[in-house]
Amino acid sequence: MKMKTSGRLLTLTLGLAALAVVGCNNNPYPSGESNENVLFRTLTEDPKSLDPSFSYTVDEAYVCDVIYPSFYKYHPIKRPFSIMRNLGASDPVRTPLPGGGEEWRFTFKNDLRFQDDPCFPGGKGRAISAKDVEYSFKRMCDAKNNCPVASFFEDKVVGWKEYAKVFTDAMEAKDEAARAKNYDASLPGVTVDPADPYTLVIKLNQPYPQLKFLMAMHFTTPQAREAVEKYGDEYARHPVGSGPYLMTKYVPKQRIELSVNPNRHKDFYPTDGADAEGIKNGWLEDAGKQLPLADKVVFSIVKESTSSWNLFLQGYLDTASVNNNNYQQVVANSGGLSDSMKARGISLRRDPQVNVYYCAFNMEDPTFGGYTPEKRKLRQAISLAVDADEYIQLIVQGNGAKADWLVPPGVFGNDPKFKNPYRETNIEKAKQLLKEAGYPDGNDPKTGKKLVMGYDNSATTAATMQQVALLQRQIERIGIKVESRSTTYNQFQERLLKGQHQFIFYGWFADYPDPENFVFLLYGPNKKPGPNSASYKNPEYDKLFEQMRVMDDGPARQAIIDKMRTIAVEDCPWIPIYHSLTMGLSYDWLKNTMSHPIANDMAQYRRVDFKERAKRQAEWNNPIWWPVALVVGLVGLGVVPAAKVVQQRINRKLRQGSGGS
Amino acid sequence: MLNYIVRRVLYAIPTLIGVLLVTWFLFFKTASPEVIARRNLSSRAPTQAQIQSWIKGHGYDKPPLDQLQNSTLDMMRFRFGKSDATKEDILERVKKGVVPSFTIGFNSFVATVFFAVIFAAIAAYFRGTYVDTMTTVICVIGMSLVYMIYIIGFQFLFCKILKLGPTWGFNPDENLIKYILIPTIIGVVAGLATEIRLYRTFLLEEINLDYVRTARAKGVAEPAVLLKHVLKNALIPIITNTVAVLPGLILGSLLLENFFGIPGLGSYLVEAISANDFTVVRAMVFLGTLLYIVGLILTDIAYALVDPRVRLS
Amino acid sequence: MGNPLLPLQLWLDDHPVLQNWLYNLVPVLVIVLLALALRQGLKQPIWAEAARRIRRRPAALWAIGIIGFYGLIAFSDSIGLYDAKKQERVSLLDAISRREKERYYSAPLATMTTGEAFPKPLKEKHILGTDGKGDDVLYQTLKGARTAFIIGGLTSLLTIPVGIILGLLSGFYSGTKYKWIDDLITYIYTVISSIPSILLQIAFVMVLGKGIFQICIALGMARWVGLCRQVRGETLRHREREYVRGARALGVSTWGILTRHILPNLLPTVIIFTTLGISGLILSEAILSYLGVGVGDGVGSWGNMINASRDELAREPILWWNLASASTAMLGIVLAFNLLGDALRDAIDPRLRS
Repeated sequence: MKMKTSGRLLTLTLGLAALAVVGCNNNPYPSGESNENVLFRTLTEDPKSLDPSFSYTVDEAYVCDVIYPSFYKYHPIKRPFSIMRNLGASDPVRTPLPGGGEEWRFTFKNDLRFQDDPCFPGGKGRAISAKDVEYSFKRMCDAKNNCPVASFFEDKVVGWKEYAKVFTDAMEAKDEAARAKNYDASLPGVTVDPADPYTLVIKLNQPYPQLKFLMAMHFTTPQAREAVEKYGDEYARHPVGSGPYLMTKYVPKQRIELSVNPNRHKDFYPTDGADAEGIKNGWLEDAGKQLPLADKVVFSIVKESTSSWNLFLQGYLDTASVNNNNYQQVVANSGGLSDSMKARGISLRRDPQVNVYYCAFNMEDPTFGGYTPEKRKLRQAISLAVDADEYIQLIVQGNGAKADWLVPPGVFGNDPKFKNPYRETNIEKAKQLLKEAGYPDGNDPKTGKKLVMGYDNSATTAATMQQVALLQRQIERIGIKVESRSTTYNQFQERLLKGQHQFIFYGWFADYPDPENFVFLLYGPNKKPGPNSASYKNPEYDKLFEQMRVMDDGPARQAIIDKMRTIAVEDCPWIPIYHSLTMGLSYDWLKNTMSHPIANDMAQYRRVDFKERAKRQAEWNNPIWWPVALVVGLVGLGVVPAAKVVQQRINRKLRQGSGGS
Repeated sequence: MLNYIVRRVLYAIPTLIGVLLVTWFLFFKTASPEVIARRNLSSRAPTQAQIQSWIKGHGYDKPPLDQLQNSTLDMMRFRFGKSDATKEDILERVKKGVVPSFTIGFNSFVATVFFAVIFAAIAAYFRGTYVDTMTTVICVIGMSLVYMIYIIGFQFLFCKILKLGPTWGFNPDENLIKYILIPTIIGVVAGLATEIRLYRTFLLEEINLDYVRTARAKGVAEPAVLLKHVLKNALIPIITNTVAVLPGLILGSLLLENFFGIPGLGSYLVEAISANDFTVVRAMVFLGTLLYIVGLILTDIAYALVDPRVRLS
Repeated sequence: MGNPLLPLQLWLDDHPVLQNWLYNLVPVLVIVLLALALRQGLKQPIWAEAARRIRRRPAALWAIGIIGFYGLIAFSDSIGLYDAKKQERVSLLDAISRREKERYYSAPLATMTTGEAFPKPLKEKHILGTDGKGDDVLYQTLKGARTAFIIGGLTSLLTIPVGIILGLLSGFYSGTKYKWIDDLITYIYTVISSIPSILLQIAFVMVLGKGIFQICIALGMARWVGLCRQVRGETLRHREREYVRGARALGVSTWGILTRHILPNLLPTVIIFTTLGISGLILSEAILSYLGVGVGDGVGSWGNMINASRDELAREPILWWNLASASTAMLGIVLAFNLLGDALRDAIDPRLRS
């Protein structure tokens, strides 16, 4: 009995241990994949949709932009940012129209083909013409597709609103047939040149220089109507494009696999654009080679930064970004890469991003909004208390450049010499202004109590709570009280919509590198629910904005932007805090690691030395078994005394039994 | 017997309807359609027309009672519809998520009960000695730790320090053990303490009964008493209590899948919560409840089979 | 939904000193009521007997000691004075243990911050270090005690009356001509208990919003059904006992039977259920916080501290003190309640006496 029970237990434990040994290594990918010419990347969120008319987040764009190319694309290396033709055959022709409008003619290459897909006859990708781009524009009009950039075209493209209304009406009436039929009707502002099936003609009722940037976004890619109609809602997870890659596998919330598209148009690695440093980094070594350089791209969807960092350290990801959590490990006190990282063959790059993070007041709030000199002074005082340097150091570990106004460096309109008088940190001056605003030492003379400012946020993670606490502490230095109103995301949005907020923290990422895409954040008609989250409205500013947005870059445009800046700085609806900087890490087995803050199709330029990678992965990931063996051994030792007790008891029982009967 | 089962199943239907009512009411009250629309539209500020068309397209403009009726009927027929956020068919997604969740859940369930019975039997056998005391002490401490501590601790130890398994990831086409072993171990360890203590009490209750004393007095050896008599009879309360493990498994699935990046139902639900995808949350709550009710019915049937005292009429 | 107490609330906001004293009254009242109940209870023979048994168990005495210690901390955090100059309420705990706010993380007893590119000197020493907001970890940990007690106490306070009343009614009318009462109550609790409790709690917090009272309501919603079921079972058992039948024969009213004869016999069940339940409630708070539907910031919360530690453990060097303090504090109180619950059950419930 004794041997049997404890023996069984032992066999079981050993069996389980053996089972564990067989299956265990910490490689998260299918076996053998690390030995292929694959790029391993991560997405922090599962794409909601890969429909090019809807996708908008960066994570979605990483996938979308290599599947769906457009007329233009961004030059991967050249600075300042410049666009170059991608599907375009020649530069567009831009002619003014009578009545203040203009016409753009985009001629596409005539040998483009879609990827192979069952939605085409015979499963072979068919040829692409300008009609497919026209179709994309029509899809943008359709409210059902919820295109996020539709509002850019709405008031500019001829006949857009009327055409879009047919869709909306059809939807109201739940008339699917009418909706489908409208795709056969024509959108007057966007047509195919009857003389040339590869030329798209766009008619606008006002000059719109930014159109070229929109022609570099995936919204204007050629789309196959067959695919949209065949796959319906599943089109969002079944992309049919014409780019360097096509999607071969999609496991939601887990993994997206892209492979080279055999039907891709011939496109080559650029031969110019690198400065001395770029050449030193080897960014032109692959010049002239056909794109893409890697056979496959695997996106793993990893929400937790902790997990992706571990995967990177284990060599299972080619790149990683530096954040609060790994900062100390990565960066030495000198600001460079730490020795332990260098020893692993990791290199560090700092790249400025085209964005702005800011705090916004609600300009319609009775206490903190308003345009009287007192209210202005109140906001200016608060602005003077917010220490951007401290914020950048503590919250983003120094990965940011202090913002004096909206337009980030690298974008036309940014003036590096400009110093915002209210963005220095000066508590004395702040207190003085507060006094002039009618709140000496932060006290409201009417009620005799401290002035309280509600800071609406939806902080749930430790990092966001930390950020809220820091701003709270900084502002409270001048005597007013900051109350954190932490709610769920829904309630936060609801409060914002209803204008019940007083003070919020927000970030804005550019759609394209043009100042218009930043200064419009304060344009009156864009007020909530639009992107103007401060609900700022200054007629003078608005007038200047309407002037500058149709202008081409030049001193005149700069002068207007400067004027707008002066107005907005004095009104102080915003406290601009910083333009972020990403710190990217990559292993030396990955080549061409330049980054681009706006383009998301960089995967096609990367080259990977996968043999080296596989070698090092194996080297770094030897499982350690002895502690497990130790535990099993200890348990085994524990069995011995227990077994003894059992034996004793049985003997005793037996003796008693025989003695008793 | 069949009669009993049929009746038991029929009883479950009004309960399910009640659950649907409760969840529908909860989620309908949570947020206005406009906020749901904004949340599920693109991240860029959508236009009013887009919001309205979204609300109409998803049926949030209908009178509440119509919505309730439709959605309840659909749910009962397993027509969960499409996710508000991704337009993905929820049932399809659930089918995909069942495999990893079920593998982890079922394995932890079996292993938890199995090990708990063994340890409880050991503790009961050595009752009154240091083995029993130690087991109780460890169990009480184990019960007093929050689930996350287990996950954080074990993940740190097994995956980061010892490199025995991936910190993150899942691949259905491959050797599953690699991906689910560590999460399962954590699930078992976290659930073990409560179960051991519970089963130990069941065993001790039986041990003190007269028939056991008689058997002992007749000279049956102690391990034999424990295995043949006590364990057999203690199985009845153990079986009826296994269903109590289910909520723990659901919680485990919520947390473990999220920490280990396993695309199961738990992580699907957590994502849906953070994305405010109410159609998905509702469907998942419904499924969780269904699972629980099925568990209860199975337990009752097992109980009826094991215990002759239960009247089937 | 309008808040009927809003005018009162607003009026009180204008009289902060008075408001402060009202706030102070609550914990004092709780203590006094608890003490009274305990004294009254100990006069009865079964409870005196139970108390004697408990006194013989060192583990139970330790548990009571620990709970008392945590209670003292929570109490000291609940009473305080109004600081007119800063216009905020300063609790006794704040006055004793509040430390200077630092910039950033710092290790226990360190003199410089840690985790930032250029460590800065600290304003003072912190026994358990500081967290990412620069708050003293020891102070934050102590603050968590009050939250834990509120969550455990208030939820129980919400659960007990509902559970008892519905359970009593349901059990008492089961099988009588008012059977529908039993059917209705049974139906409601079957429905609620069929929803796995964590899912129900998430749903409720999503509806009610974040915050400590909202969490209590959500936890209570999922919890009363358990008590109700037990009370119903006990009532059914007692209803058929001779003394109840006797009382009924003597013409004692239904109300009298319920309150004087059945209710006192239910108390052991209720007390064991509540004591053992508190630990679960405290643990739930941490889990809800992890799922993003917790108490929110501004309230001391071990859940938030443990939640933050996920990232902290991934850092290099590891920031362990936040996790260690919060989980130790939590382990202490939960362990104590578990031990006390066990001891109570052993002392009161004769079936389990070994």
